Amino acid sequence: MAWGWMQGADDMTGYAQKVEELSESGRTYSPHEAVLEASRCLMCDEAPCLDGCPAGVDVRRFVRKIRFGNFRGAARLIREANLLVGICGRVCPQEILCMENCTRGNLDTPIDIAGLQRFAGDIELGTLAPLPVRAEGRGEKVAVLGAGPAGLAAAAELRKLGFGVEIFERADSMGGVLTQGIPPFRLDRRFVESELDYIGRLGADVHLGRDEKDVAALLKSGFDAVVIGVGLYRPYTIGLPGEDLEGVFVAADLLAAVARGEQPDLGKRVVVIGGGNVAIDAAMTAQHLGAERVDLCSLESYDELPAFRSEVEIAQSEGIEFHTQTKPVKIVGTDGKVSGYEGVGIRWKTPGLLVPSNAEEIPGTEFRLAATAVIEAIGQGVLDCYEGVDADERGLIRVDQETMVTSMPGVFAAGDVVSGGATAVQAFAEGKRAATGVAAYLNEAATGDAASTEGGGR
Amino acid sequence: MVRVDLKKKVDLSVKFCGVRFPNPFVLAAAPPTDKGEMIARGFEAGWGGAVVKTLGLEHVEVNLVSPMMAGLSYEDKNLIGLENIDLISDRDINEALAEVGDLKRDYPDNVVIVSMMAATEAEWQEIARRVQDAGADMIECSFSCPHGMPERGMGSAVGQDADLTFERAKWVVDAVDIPVLIKLTPNVADMRPIAARVKEAGAAGITCINTVKGLIGFDLDTFAPLPSVNEQSTAGGYSGPAIKPIALRFVADVAKDVQIPVAGVGGVVTWKDAVEFLLAGAGIVQVCTTVMRYGYDIVEELNEGLALYLEDKGLTSPMELVGKGLVGLVSHEALSREYKVVSAIDEDLCIGCGACVIACRDGGHQALEFRGEDAGELARVPEVDDEKCIGCGFCVSVCPVNGCMSMAPRED
Repeated sequence: MAWGWMQGADDMTGYAQKVEELSESGRTYSPHEAVLEASRCLMCDEAPCLDGCPAGVDVRRFVRKIRFGNFRGAARLIREANLLVGICGRVCPQEILCMENCTRGNLDTPIDIAGLQRFAGDIELGTLAPLPVRAEGRGEKVAVLGAGPAGLAAAAELRKLGFGVEIFERADSMGGVLTQGIPPFRLDRRFVESELDYIGRLGADVHLGRDEKDVAALLKSGFDAVVIGVGLYRPYTIGLPGEDLEGVFVAADLLAAVARGEQPDLGKRVVVIGGGNVAIDAAMTAQHLGAERVDLCSLESYDELPAFRSEVEIAQSEGIEFHTQTKPVKIVGTDGKVSGYEGVGIRWKTPGLLVPSNAEEIPGTEFRLAATAVIEAIGQGVLDCYEGVDADERGLIRVDQETMVTSMPGVFAAGDVVSGGATAVQAFAEGKRAATGVAAYLNEAATGDAASTEGGGR
Repeated sequence: MVRVDLKKKVDLSVKFCGVRFPNPFVLAAAPPTDKGEMIARGFEAGWGGAVVKTLGLEHVEVNLVSPMMAGLSYEDKNLIGLENIDLISDRDINEALAEVGDLKRDYPDNVVIVSMMAATEAEWQEIARRVQDAGADMIECSFSCPHGMPERGMGSAVGQDADLTFERAKWVVDAVDIPVLIKLTPNVADMRPIAARVKEAGAAGITCINTVKGLIGFDLDTFAPLPSVNEQSTAGGYSGPAIKPIALRFVADVAKDVQIPVAGVGGVVTWKDAVEFLLAGAGIVQVCTTVMRYGYDIVEELNEGLALYLEDKGLTSPMELVGKGLVGLVSHEALSREYKVVSAIDEDLCIGCGACVIACRDGGHQALEFRGEDAGELARVPEVDDEKCIGCGFCVSVCPVNGCMSMAPRED
């Protein structure tokens, strides 16, 4: 029944199924339901939801558009602020951003902004979304390294501003974390495809399987600026005894393999180490691959888990076992294969400092879990350094937060390679900001040239 | 202002009574148009025109009461109707008219209409000339306010009488060169004979409707009528989404049978409502209560929504819609008796609430019943008895699921 999922989750076994159902039917709100939800909006003066959006979407205005039946106007408005509206509506943690700020929550429950954004985004799904009005074509060309959220946002915005864009992507497909990290059950690939297609129609040239590292050479070879948005692709490992056993995975590689359509055999009992969104994605993916029991072991306490609360709750309702405030001791093997996992309870030496070196073991809390596979999901780091571009000791590129310009003139950076790992929507926002920085830089160069030419001519 | 990029060039501007409006949306004479500063904000937001709140001459005493407004809530909607016992503007006419000049200087493309009210011939003509001299594009004469003014022989006391209406309309038309609109009251059985006399007097058009005379309610603790002015009240003017059907009927009546330009007003919330007014024959659409409730910037949704609708329909101007819905409007006698419909239920959408069963049982012809346990999963999906169903269509109105119930043409 079409309304089934709106009526509470009683007959649902969980989120994944719900998402699957929605993806299959392609259904979010019906127009009628969307208007009903939007008409709950109080249309506040100086609406606080606006402050919650990193991508700068005018939330009040797009909800108002739906409220007054101007659906296509709503879709246009969101796309104007955020060219990747469809993806953002699905991976953005609205409950801690705009919805957390929603005044209606003081009365009963916040407006379902996430749902309404999906509704608005889906209006254009399957139809060709209208292209933004583009500025006049300009001669300057910009190289964008990386085709993930930050790179795509920068590329789209630069095209909108009229610049030539070439995207260089190390992998052999576009999307970055959208296609290689976030599991398909959390982000329907059709939406990603539709957005990638949109970027393509904006007229950016894409070079897949090309890993450009020499930004100075790019600048010399005809590019007027470079945007680095390559993300974090070196998975950290813990260095545990037993890490070389068959059945030990790093989450990023595993998720990428699954995204490519592979079905790695994890066996029936999987242990995931980590407490972030990637750890939760890995745990849920393990379930999808057939694991009967999945244990998730994190240094952080339940309330300290860095993963989105909604994701944690879904994982819990799906039966994932949490062993919070524990640290790994070793991976146990039999005949070269993983057969178990040993951990121990910890407490923080200094409360609130959530790093391994601050963890103090609690004697007598040692535990052992049977395991057929262990997945390490403790974060990812920078894969490559860029010569001449300043970075910190972790390799994260230093930028001016306003323009995203790096220490090298003409080179900008955005996304996880700058922040060290944040949300896709933040990467979108930074990519867009970098594009604005590039435009300002190139405009200045253009006027500077013109001025000097003029002066020279006299 | 709204930026709309469209495939086929849609031009929202309209010509009404010889005056060009940048779009058909106009702020009605009411609190949102009481000050030049407010109207300027309205124009900035995208309104095509504004009718300045009704002005009277210096000596006319405007003695307001408080409170003067009360809303009607129904289920989850907290303002489906609004009643007011406000009066004409209490502002000094010289100040207000000076602001009209300022507005025309700052917003030459937007249309400024001034609403006015007077008593004698000399007064009507004086105020009309002053409005014209101030630079207004049009005049709107209020013959229609249902409270306060009629007790002094003005407002709807004029608009309910065809001869008084004719006489006063002619006074004003004779005094000025700019187009004159006459705002009429819906508190009559038939507006057409009155509108015909307006036409005869030479006025450019009709504005309809003003508010519907009503009594919003009582305080159940004190027994005082509302809005309670120290435990007393009086019948007032009712506006908002609730009066849209009344307004559409009068607009259609006048547009079809009197054939005079109509400024439609009454209950417009969305661009869809506005399209309905255009279809009923209105050349421009005035809005008040919705603006009071949500602010000037809802005009963005009216303009953009209308433009995208026109684009979808392959049209380029709102003027192409004016009066397009009147063809199908006929007398009851003329309606087809051969065309028959019968209730139909989408089994997949039905959630089994039985709202239609109750409605048909107690408010219809007992044609709907649950299928019962024998039907298994469909036990709570009602079955239509084709013999008993007279095709009234009431069940469609009570069904909570959009698209679940419909009326299908009878096959037999």
